[in-house]
Amino acid sequence: MKKLILIIIYTIFWRNFLKIIIGLKYYNQQVLRKKKPFILIANHNSHMDTMAIMSSMPPRYIHRVHPVAADDFFGGSRFKEILMRYMVNATLIPRKRANSDEDVDPIEVMSNLLKKGRSIIIYPEGSRGVPGVMTDFKKGIGYLVKQNPTVDVIPVYLDGLHKTLPKGKNLILPYNCRIIFGDSINFDSFDVEDIVNAAEKAIYKVKLLVE
Amino acid sequence: MEKLISSIDLNAQIQWVIAIILSILVIATTTFWIWNKLNPSKLVDEMTLRTRSWWGMCFIFLFASTVHPIITYIGLAFLSFFTLREVYTLLKLRDADRSTLVACYLSIPIQYYFAYQGWYTMFLIFIPVFMFIIIPFLLVLSGDTDDIIRSMCILPTSLMLGVFGISHLALLISFPEMNDGDISGKALLLFLIFITEANDIMQFVFGKIFGKHKILPKVSPNKTWEGFIGGVISTTIIGYFMGFLTPLNSWQLILISFCIAVLGFMGDAIISAVKRDFGVKDMGDSIPGHGGFLDRIDSLSTTSSPFFHLIYFMVIV
Repeated sequence: MKKLILIIIYTIFWRNFLKIIIGLKYYNQQVLRKKKPFILIANHNSHMDTMAIMSSMPPRYIHRVHPVAADDFFGGSRFKEILMRYMVNATLIPRKRANSDEDVDPIEVMSNLLKKGRSIIIYPEGSRGVPGVMTDFKKGIGYLVKQNPTVDVIPVYLDGLHKTLPKGKNLILPYNCRIIFGDSINFDSFDVEDIVNAAEKAIYKVKLLVE
Repeated sequence: MEKLISSIDLNAQIQWVIAIILSILVIATTTFWIWNKLNPSKLVDEMTLRTRSWWGMCFIFLFASTVHPIITYIGLAFLSFFTLREVYTLLKLRDADRSTLVACYLSIPIQYYFAYQGWYTMFLIFIPVFMFIIIPFLLVLSGDTDDIIRSMCILPTSLMLGVFGISHLALLISFPEMNDGDISGKALLLFLIFITEANDIMQFVFGKIFGKHKILPKVSPNKTWEGFIGGVISTTIIGYFMGFLTPLNSWQLILISFCIAVLGFMGDAIISAVKRDFGVKDMGDSIPGHGGFLDRIDSLSTTSSPFFHLIYFMVIV
């Protein structure tokens, strides 16, 4: 049932809407053909980013892909939480790492999902930031990959979506934009800092794929 | 479906044009294929890619223009929409302009509705009169006056480039006097597009072969006097022989083809200068080998409305 809802929303509605009206172009989508679980990392400037990534997921495993969202921003009320769970298939995590045993550790939540064979979408920048600018990555991605070294990490570059729906606006306008998928990253070392740097570099490299 | 099929009415002249277009494409494809076998180069690769895109464009256009008038209107409206979207992507607009863009996009269905109904006066004044007042006022309502004059000028002009010119193609097939007796709007539409695109190709070919003296050195280094003159002469000749699509006599045909050739060059030059200002080579990458939509229809946006009015004066008045 959840799969059907997601297919109707993303594969049918958002995909065509983004392609025909907004003018989004998908590049290199074949990297998603493998059914293995993956961590998808992307630069983040707009709420449309998640719509664009989810709409490019193959329908056969779209229900197994979870965008990760911040608890304090997208949680809040019960209604919002249900909406996020069923319409976006999102997993809510706290922004801060656990200080005591009672708190939920965000890295652990994501690791558990990966162990269950689910894929996740994360924005290592942590927030949408300044339009069109990629900020430094937070360390979270480093810890996550260190704990799950066998999982594929797919870098994605989103170009121009911040014009379609900028931060703080609620009017979606058509602008030509692009979503470019890259091949999964080969990490040389599994040190947290190195992983973060390699991930950042990989996204810059994906940006250059289409130019 | 039955209604759709029964509405396909191809008279002999239109069938001829389709045959001509397809044979040109076949000849071009085989020529470049053989050329590539004998002497591969970057130019041939580009030509092959361009020809492949021409196949796609011709099929879409022939389908849209022959099946049912409704599909022609929707197709042309989408062409306008894609063009506007391309321009707005490259323009550095202010945040305050966002809500006014909605009005710009909404003017497309309205303009094409007037074309569909054949309301000549409303069609003519909607953009140059109404939108030229409404858009600046909407910009004022958004409250931000910094740099407002730039937006006040750009947004209405973008409608002239992307919507007003192209929508005359739609008016050709709905205007009552243009579809009367032996005059067929569809045939005129085919004539205009064929001549405009032939002019683009001819200017390109003559420029590539004989080009020496630059005509606009600061704007577009590819445009030469040789290309321009060769293009105008050959387009006039082609127009003369394609005259069976129109109700015009010989001297009218020569005059109208000459005007299309010169106007097409003007449109091309205008868009070249705009691209230079944007700092891009092509407007987009929607059509492989050609660039964006506006790269292909740049000359159409300036030829279509003068063509319509020339025909109007020559045939109807």
